[in-house]
Amino acid sequence: MLRGRVLFGACLLLSALAAGAQPQETGSIAGHIRLTARVRAPLPANPYPSRAIGRHEAPAAPEIRNVVVYLRDPGFKGALPASHVELHQENETFVPHVLAITKGSTVDFPNDDPFFHNVFSLSSAATFNLGRYPRGKSKAQTFNKAGLVKVFCDIHSHMSASILVLDHPYFAIPGTDGNYEIRNVPAGQYTIIGWHERVGERAASVRVDAGRQAAVDLTVPVEDVP
Amino acid sequence: MTASTSSPAPQPPRLLVRTLGVILATVALLLIAVFVFVFVSVRDQVRQSVAAGLESGQRIYAAVENRRQRELQSQAATLAENPTLKATIDTYAAEARTASQARIQEWLATIDNELEKVAARVDSDALILADTHQTTLAAAGRLGDRWPRGRPIAMAAGKPSDTIDGVVRAGGMLFRVVSVPLQLADVPIGTLYLAENLDDRYAKELASLANAEIAIVSDGLLVASTLPQATAREFEAAAASRQPDGTAVLDGQAYAFRRLVQLGSTSFYALGSIDESSRAATRTAIRNLALIAAGAAALALIASFWLARMLSEPVGRLSASLAAAGRTPGARVQLARTGSSREVDTLTDTFNALMASVAKAEEETQAAYTGSIRALATALDARDPYTAGHSERVSVLSVAIARELKLPDDDIEVIRLGALLHDIGKIGVPDEVLLKAGALTEAEFNIIKQHPVAGARILRSVPFLLPHIPIVELHHERPDGRGYPHGLRGDEIPMHARIVHVADAYDAITSKRAYRNARPSGDALREIWRFAGTEFHAEVVGALATALPGVTSDTGELVVDHGEQVHA
Repeated sequence: MLRGRVLFGACLLLSALAAGAQPQETGSIAGHIRLTARVRAPLPANPYPSRAIGRHEAPAAPEIRNVVVYLRDPGFKGALPASHVELHQENETFVPHVLAITKGSTVDFPNDDPFFHNVFSLSSAATFNLGRYPRGKSKAQTFNKAGLVKVFCDIHSHMSASILVLDHPYFAIPGTDGNYEIRNVPAGQYTIIGWHERVGERAASVRVDAGRQAAVDLTVPVEDVP
Repeated sequence: MTASTSSPAPQPPRLLVRTLGVILATVALLLIAVFVFVFVSVRDQVRQSVAAGLESGQRIYAAVENRRQRELQSQAATLAENPTLKATIDTYAAEARTASQARIQEWLATIDNELEKVAARVDSDALILADTHQTTLAAAGRLGDRWPRGRPIAMAAGKPSDTIDGVVRAGGMLFRVVSVPLQLADVPIGTLYLAENLDDRYAKELASLANAEIAIVSDGLLVASTLPQATAREFEAAAASRQPDGTAVLDGQAYAFRRLVQLGSTSFYALGSIDESSRAATRTAIRNLALIAAGAAALALIASFWLARMLSEPVGRLSASLAAAGRTPGARVQLARTGSSREVDTLTDTFNALMASVAKAEEETQAAYTGSIRALATALDARDPYTAGHSERVSVLSVAIARELKLPDDDIEVIRLGALLHDIGKIGVPDEVLLKAGALTEAEFNIIKQHPVAGARILRSVPFLLPHIPIVELHHERPDGRGYPHGLRGDEIPMHARIVHVADAYDAITSKRAYRNARPSGDALREIWRFAGTEFHAEVVGALATALPGVTSDTGELVVDHGEQVHA
């Protein structure tokens, strides 16, 4: 952990140098996210396994990768950088399971499985149905409204993904070690959120000073009682 | 030794009746003992078998019910894989707080619609969809309206999330539920419940499954049952302190009961009526016993008859022989051995020995009597030298005539002795009259005429001489009624007396008298023939004529049976 901090210190130094070129005074937020709730909890008494086929062949992504850390209403002004990302369908799973994008971004849904898949959503932020298509094909969807978009496959009922559409670029998905960093945050007072689609969210206050890195460690959903 | 059938004294029962009575009483006692034993043991066994039946019913129920629950769960698990349902629930759950009311209504309508379609494919009473907090999101099916949206599902037992099946109270009804989780990649997003109403129909189905009466009791209250109303009420009243199994008397009937399953505060009981089963079993037992009893009674009857006959028949034969013997006094009675039993044979032998000695004694007595009477008669004849041997000769001649007339042997014996005694009454006639050589005066002849009556009077004092009295008394009667002492006519005079009358006359004529010589046999016959029909019976005179050559020698002398030769 200490070594991580040192490493982060070096990163921070580098980013501070880069930020120095920018007109606005910015800092960054970094920290560690810890998930304290069990997410995958199949009911012990269920005598029937899930209908999914071959899902366990690929190692499931660590649950920490399903957490999104973002600032609540940072008051972003200016042109939002739009991205173009892919959300794969492989082994009857949406990969990644959780995606965070800026408003206006486009997501491609390539089908990597040797059978048909479907992509649809009933969410308020984006209601769509891309229909069914076979391996090798891909369909794209642009998200023009902020909010949570739940994505499903109407062929494989156990498949789901969450796309968090944000109207600012200040978010991050922690690495497998739980560390995250949000860069180029204008100096100011913010509320930082650690969010997980199942176990909920946890908020914390953070003050970002220009050229400095604020450290916020979050435990989602609650702090462990020692 | 005569049969006492006409005796007025109360008679003891017949042997057959006694045998029958004893055997039937024994059989009846045995049967009563068997009946009592059967009743007690049947009831006990029925109680055990009903309990065992309930226990096996419970096992069968447990097996079948387990399987049914699994099938329901499998059905529910399949239904739970509805993509639309899952997508809608998950989206709703994520956005319920932030989405617009219109959007929420869309989602709920989608869920309702999807659930209705699913419900149409199962025969559960209700299909309920709950969120992860076990709050009702939607319900469909026949009794779906009992599950309003937003109402938490209160599982009667345990924590809801831990329970797959249980009993839930909803809308004033009790439901048996099976649940499966709705999952997205192993993450639970809701629960689907298949609910079946615990009503009388359910109880009936369960009853046919467990092969017993069913009562479902929840929190001490009867929910449903297949029992009669009153019985069910009593079972409900006692349900609070109910053991898992045992017996109880409900509405006057004994029941065995067993708890099939307990889900929280709801218990499913199987009940079997002991009385009803034991009635059926007892009925069968009684029918079989009645058959046995009838058979035993018939056998007893046959056995009694056989036994009684075996005992009474030889005894009856014996007494019949004795009765026959009693009717012919003096006859030598010898009874044949019956061979039926040693006792009866011993009795027969003893009786025969007794009879032999009695007969011997009787013979000796009669011989003594006969001897003394003969001596008396001889002595009487000896009073008058002219009549010496007269009685013997009359006796021999009378027997010859009687033989000629084909009289029975018994009669002949009576005649033999009667003829020997016919003049016994002359014992009372004084010598001067009896031995008078000259003609008798009227008075003297009257004295002579007294002798038959006097003789009869003498003989009356000896019982075994009673049959001979008519001969003595009536041997001077004549068919034309001019005889003495009574002047009887024709057929009024007994045959014995007629014979002796003729024989007496013949001997008198062929004997020497003080006042005349003896006349030859031919003269005597002619003389007697002359008076046949008036003084003598013609039939007897005929017999005399035929019989005479057999009893007289060529010289006309009468041959007396004891070898004495008498001069004619």
